[in-house]
Amino acid sequence: MDFLSYLKEHIVVFDGAFGTMLQKSAKNIGTVPELLNLERPELIAEIHRAYAKAGADVITANTFGANEKKTGSAALSEKLIKAAVDIARKEAGGRFVALDIGPIGQLLEPMGSLTFGEAYEIFARQMQAGKGADLILIETMTDLAELKAALLAARETTDLPVLCSMTFEQNGRTFTGCAADCFALTASPLADAVGVNCSLGPKQLLPVVKTILENTEKPVIVQANAGLPDENFNYNVSADEFADIYKEMLGMGVRVVGGCCGTTPEYIKKLRALTDGTAPAPSPFRRRSAVCSARRLVAIDGVRVIGERINPTGKKAMKAALYEGNYGYVTQQALEQAEAGADILDVNAGLPELDEKAVLTKLVKHVQSVCDLPLQIDCGKPDAIEAALRAYTGKAIVNSVNGEDKVLESVLPLVKKYGAAVVGLTMDERGIPKTAEERVKIAEKIIARAKEYGIPEEDVYIDCLTLTVSAEQAQANETLEAIRQIKKKHRVKTVLGVSNISFGLPNRQIINTAFLTGAMFAGLDLPIINPNIPENMQAVAAFNALSGKDKNCADYTEKYGAVTVQTSVTDAKGAPAAQTESGDIFYCIKKGLPEAADRAKKLLETVTPLALIDDYLIPALNAVGDDYERGALFLPQLISAAESAKLCFDEVKKRLDGNEGAEKGKIVLATVKGDIHDIGKNIVKTVLENYGYKVIDLGKNVPPEEIARVCREQDIKLCGLSALMTTTVANMEETIRLLRRECPACRVMVGGAVLNADYAKKIGADWYCKDANADVKIAQYIFGGGEEVPRL
Amino acid sequence: MEIENNELLRYLGWKGQEIDETLQNKLDEAAKRCLDTAEPRSVVMRLALNEDFTLGGTGFYLEGDDIKKHLAGCKEVYLMAMTIGVGAERELMRLSAKSANEALLFDTAASCAVESYADDVCADLEKSCGKKLTARFSCGYGDFPLEAQRELCKILKTDTRIGLCCDENYLLTPRKSITALAGITQEPAGERPQGGCGHKCGGCKNTACAFRKGE
Repeated sequence: MDFLSYLKEHIVVFDGAFGTMLQKSAKNIGTVPELLNLERPELIAEIHRAYAKAGADVITANTFGANEKKTGSAALSEKLIKAAVDIARKEAGGRFVALDIGPIGQLLEPMGSLTFGEAYEIFARQMQAGKGADLILIETMTDLAELKAALLAARETTDLPVLCSMTFEQNGRTFTGCAADCFALTASPLADAVGVNCSLGPKQLLPVVKTILENTEKPVIVQANAGLPDENFNYNVSADEFADIYKEMLGMGVRVVGGCCGTTPEYIKKLRALTDGTAPAPSPFRRRSAVCSARRLVAIDGVRVIGERINPTGKKAMKAALYEGNYGYVTQQALEQAEAGADILDVNAGLPELDEKAVLTKLVKHVQSVCDLPLQIDCGKPDAIEAALRAYTGKAIVNSVNGEDKVLESVLPLVKKYGAAVVGLTMDERGIPKTAEERVKIAEKIIARAKEYGIPEEDVYIDCLTLTVSAEQAQANETLEAIRQIKKKHRVKTVLGVSNISFGLPNRQIINTAFLTGAMFAGLDLPIINPNIPENMQAVAAFNALSGKDKNCADYTEKYGAVTVQTSVTDAKGAPAAQTESGDIFYCIKKGLPEAADRAKKLLETVTPLALIDDYLIPALNAVGDDYERGALFLPQLISAAESAKLCFDEVKKRLDGNEGAEKGKIVLATVKGDIHDIGKNIVKTVLENYGYKVIDLGKNVPPEEIARVCREQDIKLCGLSALMTTTVANMEETIRLLRRECPACRVMVGGAVLNADYAKKIGADWYCKDANADVKIAQYIFGGGEEVPRL
Repeated sequence: MEIENNELLRYLGWKGQEIDETLQNKLDEAAKRCLDTAEPRSVVMRLALNEDFTLGGTGFYLEGDDIKKHLAGCKEVYLMAMTIGVGAERELMRLSAKSANEALLFDTAASCAVESYADDVCADLEKSCGKKLTARFSCGYGDFPLEAQRELCKILKTDTRIGLCCDENYLLTPRKSITALAGITQEPAGERPQGGCGHKCGGCKNTACAFRKGE
């Protein structure tokens, strides 16, 4: 019988701890315990034998840490894994053999420098070496992205069943903050069983187990520790106590049991006795509409706002940012929307001349790195959708399919594979139908087709489409009617881009607010709106109060109880500037006060924007820079001055209306490959921006080729590189070499804790910057307005 | 674990400049935010220090003269790793996207926090073993190579026990983390001096250290 058939009928018993047993028999385990597979195979065999005798159905090969990052080479890993599977097979005697896959031991981007692709390849090689096993057990994972890489490698490079478990702390989260429900939602589509191992004792794990059971339709596996360890790593739960709690778990619906740290054959024997003759209990899983990131689950059980700002269509600044690769702007937009109350963020990179696949993937990565809202991948190209779904850690929404067969056939398989939710537009090759009934018909086609692919109604979000009321007045009602009908007949959710309704009309927000409110009463669950516009969020809060979702109007009262309500119309006209007690713009900048912006506004009534820069902002910043150099100010004061100046620049930019006149030159900044310490680079960026330079911030851990490509394509004259460690300065040197070859006109300045002028010269840099102020002097020299700064 | 204002200022390179209320508020806020997001975790092993300067049961050899000198006379050591966790790391990334100054202050506060946490861990160890510990000695101090970091993490299994990893370039991730050794001396435990490396700068070969005290 194959493993999956066996699992369908039985409660499966895995073996227990390996390390614990090994420690008892081997004196010196060393840092790679898998070496024993070659050096002392009899020790390994003995442990397997003991677990087989205790009654385990599955024997786990000794391959947990046998990845090439831990063993030092792929060839050695392969050898150790093959040997381990052979030993396990020999001792299993008809039982199943599991290939054990533990974490790589390095953090993935953005916390570390290992890429998702590298992790995938490492796992794929391990699995290839271990393909003689009957199943794959991915366990002790703490990072959902790493787990996803392992699951995809298992699914795409082997035919073996794959079980996965993560390790949780008392707070129900992993070390990286992944929540148990998010794990269940994300991993279930890719795994044959999901669950928890290691972590804590079985009793402490009960709440986590319950959460996982409620959020997955797959069998749930539990391999707990024998309690908590003392400082000598002795565990405190006896085999009898252990089995007692497992009995409770079986009653809750757990289907696969085993032990982790501290457990021995004695524990497995008890589990065997417990499960013999016990029929699997029913699963408490109830399907619901929900999406998630690794850290936040958003249930669609009321109105949830999808923020629309990360979309270049009709947005000049976003367009420019995407063309230039300026993801700092994108992450700011993400944070603003999150702070304004968005529940989900839409990401869209649909611009001509843009490599949508590459840019969309980067958008997903960057937004995820600063914000834990789930994402909606807004794209029509299957290859770009798939790349974005791979890069996304969590359960995403794919926006969108429509009623065309061709579209359904190309996108729905991806939605199914990655376990996403999908937006279905109620249109097809004939366009948008005029009546609600016809739109419902298309929606039903989409729902039925999704079902054929195994996508449940709860994961289909229907978009009844907003048309412009000034052009087709009758259509506003048809849209609302379609929403009503669909919600009445199906368990799907509805989604709608709202602001199109008012196109061509004055004071559009008035119409938008009314339509949004109407749509919510018709049954709209997911409005796609700009959450930064106060009226939008006010309408949602009001709807929640009026519809009874917001019990006792508590949220509404909390939000609006003690504030003067803002509207975007009065904002645009400009609220009266707050008065500060003392001083002019110089004083405000030097002190790092936000009131600098009000001073700038006032000055702009009488001076031109460019004069404000040249006569006020630059001199103020220069004075601050001089004070810093003299030691009259220290670093936080320099930066907060720069940030105040930035507020003034923002005022200037508003008045220049996208005109590039305020920009003094374009500078590329990056923290080099292998290095994730970017605080210095970020400081330099802030200071340079506030001198009016346009900074293209490529981020951290940036490969040399990427830096050279951007400098070449955008004809960059000055590039700044940072590295913190001696070990990563090598990558800085390589980057400079590549820049010299590919863009000889580009000058390079470098900075970082271990660098000095001599070292910088040795690696071929033009300038060494001892602090952020030094960068400004170099920029002023290159782009005009500054004294010569001699090259190294 | 605490974040002392003076430590925070020292890390920021403060040399007596005037600090107004606005800046002090920002410093306080950074410290508070850091303590709110920090999830300190540690893993410690007590190991025999063999005469050939390998650690008992691991085969791990302590390379360099400085560490040998530092542990002279000790028969046992504590091998330790601590981190304030990914939550603080993530908050730092969020702040970096928002404001360089807030990010700098938070980053600095986090450095103070992990040092202070390491002090707490050592104080607890000293109390529990009843013997005075030497100051902490980390990879990269003096001529004890940074490369030892990876082995140290493997021995302690820091990745699965506290979520701490060491990458290709020997960087610790999350960044605000410490790995170190402390020798168990024969003296009974008493009052502990503050500061991770003990600030015995004169005897340290790490001349590039930013916190080296004047000579």
